[in-house]
Amino acid sequence: MRRNPGLWYALPLIVAMLLFFAAPMVIVVWYSLMPPRSFALTTDIGLQNYRSAFADGYGRPLMWSLLGAALTTLITAVLAWPTAKILHRHTGRWASLVTALIALPIFISESVRLFGLSVFLMPGGGILAGTLNALFDVQIGTILNTRLAALVGMIYIHFPFMLFPLLLGVAMIPADRIEAARDLGASSWAVLREVELPLAAPGLLVGGLLTFVLCLGANAEAAILGGRAVTVITATIEQRFNYAQDWPMGAALTVLVIVVTAALVFPAVRRIDLNRMLRR
Amino acid sequence: MALPPPALTLTGLTKRFGSKTAVDDISLDIRDGEFFTIVGPSGSGKSSLVRLLAGLDTPTTGRLHLRGTDITEVPANRRPTAMVFQSLALFDHRSVGQNIEFAMKMKGVPQAERRARALDLLRLVRLPEDYYPRPVTQCSGGERQRVALARALGSDPEILFFDEPLSAIDYRLRKTLEVELKELHQRTGKTFIYITHSLEEAMVMSDRIAIMRTGRFEQIGTPDEIYRRPNSRFVASFMGEVNILEISRTKGTPHFADLDLPAPQAPGAFAVLRPEALSPGAGEGPSFDALVTQKLMLGSRTQFHLRAGNTALIAEVAAGPRSALEVGQTARFGFDPADIAWVDS
Repeated sequence: MRRNPGLWYALPLIVAMLLFFAAPMVIVVWYSLMPPRSFALTTDIGLQNYRSAFADGYGRPLMWSLLGAALTTLITAVLAWPTAKILHRHTGRWASLVTALIALPIFISESVRLFGLSVFLMPGGGILAGTLNALFDVQIGTILNTRLAALVGMIYIHFPFMLFPLLLGVAMIPADRIEAARDLGASSWAVLREVELPLAAPGLLVGGLLTFVLCLGANAEAAILGGRAVTVITATIEQRFNYAQDWPMGAALTVLVIVVTAALVFPAVRRIDLNRMLRR
Repeated sequence: MALPPPALTLTGLTKRFGSKTAVDDISLDIRDGEFFTIVGPSGSGKSSLVRLLAGLDTPTTGRLHLRGTDITEVPANRRPTAMVFQSLALFDHRSVGQNIEFAMKMKGVPQAERRARALDLLRLVRLPEDYYPRPVTQCSGGERQRVALARALGSDPEILFFDEPLSAIDYRLRKTLEVELKELHQRTGKTFIYITHSLEEAMVMSDRIAIMRTGRFEQIGTPDEIYRRPNSRFVASFMGEVNILEISRTKGTPHFADLDLPAPQAPGAFAVLRPEALSPGAGEGPSFDALVTQKLMLGSRTQFHLRAGNTALIAEVAAGPRSALEVGQTARFGFDPADIAWVDS
């Protein structure tokens, strides 16, 4: 034991990880293999929950979650790229202020912000509709309780998670590479495609992963802004555990989400060199 | 027969950053196929000037013509010029071949043709062909220089700009690359505009040299003219160690103020005397007694640091019997007035 003190120092963490990370995972996987609506962990294991996951209409919520996460990731990336470029170019007091304003809402409860957005979007006396009506005599409807509203909420909540890694990514593009590309005849579009995106790729990848994974696990946006227009997989899982009292089914759906997430995250993480990102 | 228009014509080119004038009203013709070098200390505006020429910045005032066509407003990506950057600015996420082919890819040259041209360019800059698929990050400093040069040549530019590309390279490799660059200039026949802080480097390669100081050209001339006939102490001192002697005219006939020697024909306020023009022993010309304070062996030459009165001087002598003097000895040193370059400022 004296030969390997590192193991002893790591022991508390290893125990904690086993107890609070590995053990719950094992329990979830075990439950997912139990017969439907059972509450005991027995050796009577089978795949019937997974079969019903694909057969009994659980595919739709999973599809909505994946689609919502993919769309949110794409749109936040498109919005965050020019934002990151501008903030990087104007480093100084002004940029720090804007950055702080974008970061600030993260410290406010997500539900509070979403209810705020809900009040903003409300028809008739809502902030947007009411103001337009009072000041410009313009009457508008609302997107509240639609899939679009849920998507807007997702973009609004997750924008900072895309922006901040992307700021790091944009900071990895040396200005002289852009000038060299222009000098060699590249148009703005070619500079973006050939130089800026590849050099900022680690930041884009981290931001994309963060946003995608968070969106996959999000349900407040759909619940508060989407009304009944859309049911996401997390809402289904919650419902399985709570109202339906079908722990094995909820566990099976949870495992499926984890598998999908892992299939996306692990290949991407392998391509990221965090050391290179943080050194610059 | 009418002369062909100059490759590049600068007319009153000026660049201001706020209240600071980096490039101050420069007018100049650069001939087709010329190797033109701009030499200046840091902060002289030479990098700002070359950025204007390459189109990376736009001048505050003034015009720029390429073979008679006004290109002042043309952005860098539509100018038939290419630059080798001080940082090289290689695309580290691409291979050697992809770097060299970049400009051709932007022009839409088919891949097979691009590859053939890239291999030609690799040969031209003396890199083995099997470097083509290598990541540029695996290349040494000198190899990266060559890749940067091949990449710039890959756009088949009419004019090549160099912004101090050799400043971060060790001495021996720099000497090799200087000669190769000069040969490359002769072989390609393109116009080269080169920026450096080293007049020595400029001397080796250039057809003409411009000495730049605070946004203006102090002197323009061939290397020989700059070396033999500098027009100011600033230009003279740029070539490294040099003796500058002030001429005093207060006591009737002009004389070298510090040496107390008469200078009957003194057409300038200062005499510039190269160390090799000062030698031990009294000859036909003026001579004086000096104490040897330091003796440095420079290989084929020996350098003596001298003190005459309150003046420190430097003399360089070819290795041989005349370099036998030792530190602490006093000897007579003389020079030929014909070797003096006279300057007024």
